[in-house]
Amino acid sequence: MPGARLSRWLIALPLAALAAATIYPLLFTANVAMKTRREYILDRFSAAGALRTDNLTKAWTSAGMSRYFINSITVVTATVVLLMLIGSMAGFALSRLRFRGSSVLYLACLATLFIPFQVIMVPLTRVMSGAGLVDTYPGLVLAYVAQFLPFTVFLMASYYRTVPAEIIDAARIDGNGAYGVYWRVMLPIGRPALLSVAILDALFCWNDVLIALLMMPSPQHRTLMVGVTSLRGQYSADIPTFAAGVLIAAVPVLLTYLFLQRQIADGVTAGSTKG
Amino acid sequence: MTVERSRSSLRSAPYGRSDEPAAVTPASGRAASPRRWPRYARSERLAPYVLVLPAILVIALLRLWPLLLGVNFSFTGDAERDGRPVGFDNYATLAYDDLFQSALRNVGLLVLILPVAVAFPGLLATFIYLKVPGHRFFRSVYFFPAVLSPVIVGAIFNLVLAFDGPLNAMLGIAGIPAVDWLGDPHAAIFTVVGVHIWATFGMALVVFLAGFATLDGSTQDAARVDGASIPQIIWHVFIPGLSRTIQFVFVTTMIGMLTSMFGLLYVMTSGGPEGSTYLPEYYIWIQQGQMNRPALASAASTVLFLIMLTVGLLQVSLLGRAGRDD
Repeated sequence: MPGARLSRWLIALPLAALAAATIYPLLFTANVAMKTRREYILDRFSAAGALRTDNLTKAWTSAGMSRYFINSITVVTATVVLLMLIGSMAGFALSRLRFRGSSVLYLACLATLFIPFQVIMVPLTRVMSGAGLVDTYPGLVLAYVAQFLPFTVFLMASYYRTVPAEIIDAARIDGNGAYGVYWRVMLPIGRPALLSVAILDALFCWNDVLIALLMMPSPQHRTLMVGVTSLRGQYSADIPTFAAGVLIAAVPVLLTYLFLQRQIADGVTAGSTKG
Repeated sequence: MTVERSRSSLRSAPYGRSDEPAAVTPASGRAASPRRWPRYARSERLAPYVLVLPAILVIALLRLWPLLLGVNFSFTGDAERDGRPVGFDNYATLAYDDLFQSALRNVGLLVLILPVAVAFPGLLATFIYLKVPGHRFFRSVYFFPAVLSPVIVGAIFNLVLAFDGPLNAMLGIAGIPAVDWLGDPHAAIFTVVGVHIWATFGMALVVFLAGFATLDGSTQDAARVDGASIPQIIWHVFIPGLSRTIQFVFVTTMIGMLTSMFGLLYVMTSGGPEGSTYLPEYYIWIQQGQMNRPALASAASTVLFLIMLTVGLLQVSLLGRAGRDD
């Protein structure tokens, strides 16, 4: 037994080294963001002289991160609200209502889950520009909704399938039609799944760069991630400000992770166990 | 809570609750009874369609339709031949394009690296499942980069992998000469793939852990009582027990490598040096966004789709679970 115990600690060592390698790049970036340019050039590894926020302020104001931040928040909020609504409606209908064509529609939905954006991005851009939606917020929101909807429907449907039939029957007996069951029963009951799917959709959306680059070519419409890519060229001689911009873009995700790690993990693994 | 509420309403008033306006049919003389809801059968029959309609519209118009459009589009020309049918010209152009060849070579490389990218988080998950000291902490730390945008990861590694950056400095301490991680055409693709694995192994890890959670502990206990070693338990208990999870991780990791490295490439290498870090998705972006050759880009998209389809089907059949029921 003591031998087994020792070997467990021996295994923990490389795991700890890997954990350090996982955290270090982030700490390095945060540290650089606190440095003055002079400090960075003289020695980039030492701890910053003080907890300075000058670079953060500079990135937020003169580099335009505040604008990009607001753009991202707007687009992500609109996308997530739409996804939750449309996704839960379809998820409920496809999992709990019997109607002609429901299984075909569900399969079609699942199949499009496996169409990556890269495969349809050229024609999608055409369709969008034909509708006059390129470089508009509704256009970007719609592109995101289309991208993440199959996943959202799938997750909601597999959650709704676990709701006991008696609950739905009870609501029916209380005089609810399909809409009533959806609005008064499924939406409230589905809150854990809705929360999980909302967090994941928000993350996907917040982190995306390709769709935003294609759908929003104008500089004033940049989302935060596109903004980060543009910072690189703009501040190639001022690395601390660049690092500060990266940090600003990472903080919302960091906070989400700290508080909602469990829901995120549940969401990503849903597909693996529910098949 | 909500569940309780609906249950109690069932208990207290099983019939004829008319406090919900929708339940009352004014034309009826008798008390409104839910038993008679065939009365509004019409709107009830339509309801499922109304509920799925928005989703179906979005998916049909913005996912299925573009897919067909794109395949069709790949057989037309660009620029002065815009819209005219050109047969397989675009595919021929792709076949002779050095950059696209580079992209395909790199896909081959990804396929070769795939087993490592699956086994590594699998092994880590095994240790965490066996409750190595600090396993909760490790799990949280490892998973974190997986939620960061590739753009942020790429930007961070631009700093870390700079020629005068921390990684080379550490190698210097160990007496290893500095490597131009992103500037050397032979090293750059390995660097980018390495960063991608750094950023995503936590995702696979969490999926593995979810798989472990479904394992029946008794087989493992029995093996232990019989004196099986950890490697034997991994080989004879975990791997067979997790075959579905392993298959899932194989497929999703490959899909991830083929479709979510754009942000890294865009920020870290822009496909360079000398086109050595091109992947199909980056090629599609360049042809569409920079070169204004959408038809050629569509052909590349179709090739990418076929690659993904092949990889997916191959893996499913190789792992021998093609006929599983669901």
